[in-house]
Amino acid sequence: MGILGLFQSESDKRASEIRAGAVVPTRAERKRCWEARDSYFACLDASSIVDPLKDEKKAAKACAHESTQFERDCATQWVTYFKKWRVQDIQKKARLKELEAQGANKLDVETDFTARK
Amino acid sequence: MSQPAVRIGAVLNALARAPARQCLRPMSTARSSPARRPMASCLSHGPAQARQPLVQRRFKYKTVEEAKSRYRSGPFSWKAGLLFVTTAAGLLWYFEREKGRMQQKRIAEAAKGVGRPKVGGPFELLDQDGNVMTEQNLRGRYSLVYFGFSHCPDICPEELDKMARMFDLVEAELPGALAPVFVTCDPARDTPKVLKEYLSEFHPKFIGLTGTYDQIKAMCKTYRVYFSTPQTVAPGQDYLVDHSIYFYLMDPEGDFVEALGRQHSPDQAAKIIIDHMKEWKPSVIRQ
Repeated sequence: MGILGLFQSESDKRASEIRAGAVVPTRAERKRCWEARDSYFACLDASSIVDPLKDEKKAAKACAHESTQFERDCATQWVTYFKKWRVQDIQKKARLKELEAQGANKLDVETDFTARK
Repeated sequence: MSQPAVRIGAVLNALARAPARQCLRPMSTARSSPARRPMASCLSHGPAQARQPLVQRRFKYKTVEEAKSRYRSGPFSWKAGLLFVTTAAGLLWYFEREKGRMQQKRIAEAAKGVGRPKVGGPFELLDQDGNVMTEQNLRGRYSLVYFGFSHCPDICPEELDKMARMFDLVEAELPGALAPVFVTCDPARDTPKVLKEYLSEFHPKFIGLTGTYDQIKAMCKTYRVYFSTPQTVAPGQDYLVDHSIYFYLMDPEGDFVEALGRQHSPDQAAKIIIDHMKEWKPSVIRQ
């Protein structure tokens, strides 16, 4: 493999370090992780799975490819965190909708991932 | 205004009619005459005596009708009414004015920081170059303090990007007036070297602070930051840290000004900071 092989193993090493949480991901690495997360969540949404930790088998079956990418590009801790966050976020949004239907006042608070411009 | 004339007339009348009686009761009729001449009113009937109120008030009506009419109307007359209304209006105006003045003063004092929450305080930490930094290094300019950790999955990087934009906006308006400070909540992994690399991706002027577990814990406590970092972690074990996600705006004397949260956009936050900076006066002048 030569130089390409050496390069490959270098990036593999870096990726496994990121997964283990041994190094801090750079901006580009974070971006890659977030993209993998977003496509995984989009897949879960399409399969109407709320909690991929609870419906593990169903999620693994429906979003096998996205899940592999998500787990490859993100730290293991982040994967768990994002999955839990997803459940909480869905519950929170449902609750907010409920409250809004009851006529509650909305406060100006942003909690999603998109940064405000 | 006609009363003195009436009195003088009555006095002269009384003096003419009963001079002997006046001499028997000098104290009741000539109360205000000089003490060294108590019998003056008996000795001479000069013009000085004419001004003294020699008759008691009940004799001030010339006729019975006048006295009766006065008795019927009691102490009330259109003059008394006018005086009452004028006084009431005056007092009302005065109290309203005072109330407004006190309210304004209270608002001004609140803005100046009386009863300011006790956030922030002395610290001794290392910056990203490994130099010791204390609260004294941040005196003389505003500082924007943010707590986080480099392994933070989502919020910290976003907030740091926001902080970079806020800082650039403030820097464009008032150069050198703001110090952007990032304090790690994860001192075990965030060494100065790690912080230097991490922060360089956000802004070259960011100051990263780290220290020992106890130093960071004390720092979080002075800023009332929720701190959940595990003290002992097995080597190689990954973990996340819970922390508060506010930007703390501190004034040039190290006093807390305001907490900026996720609800503020960078533009809004920068405007708030700039407004505070323009209003600021040293506490010596404030008091």
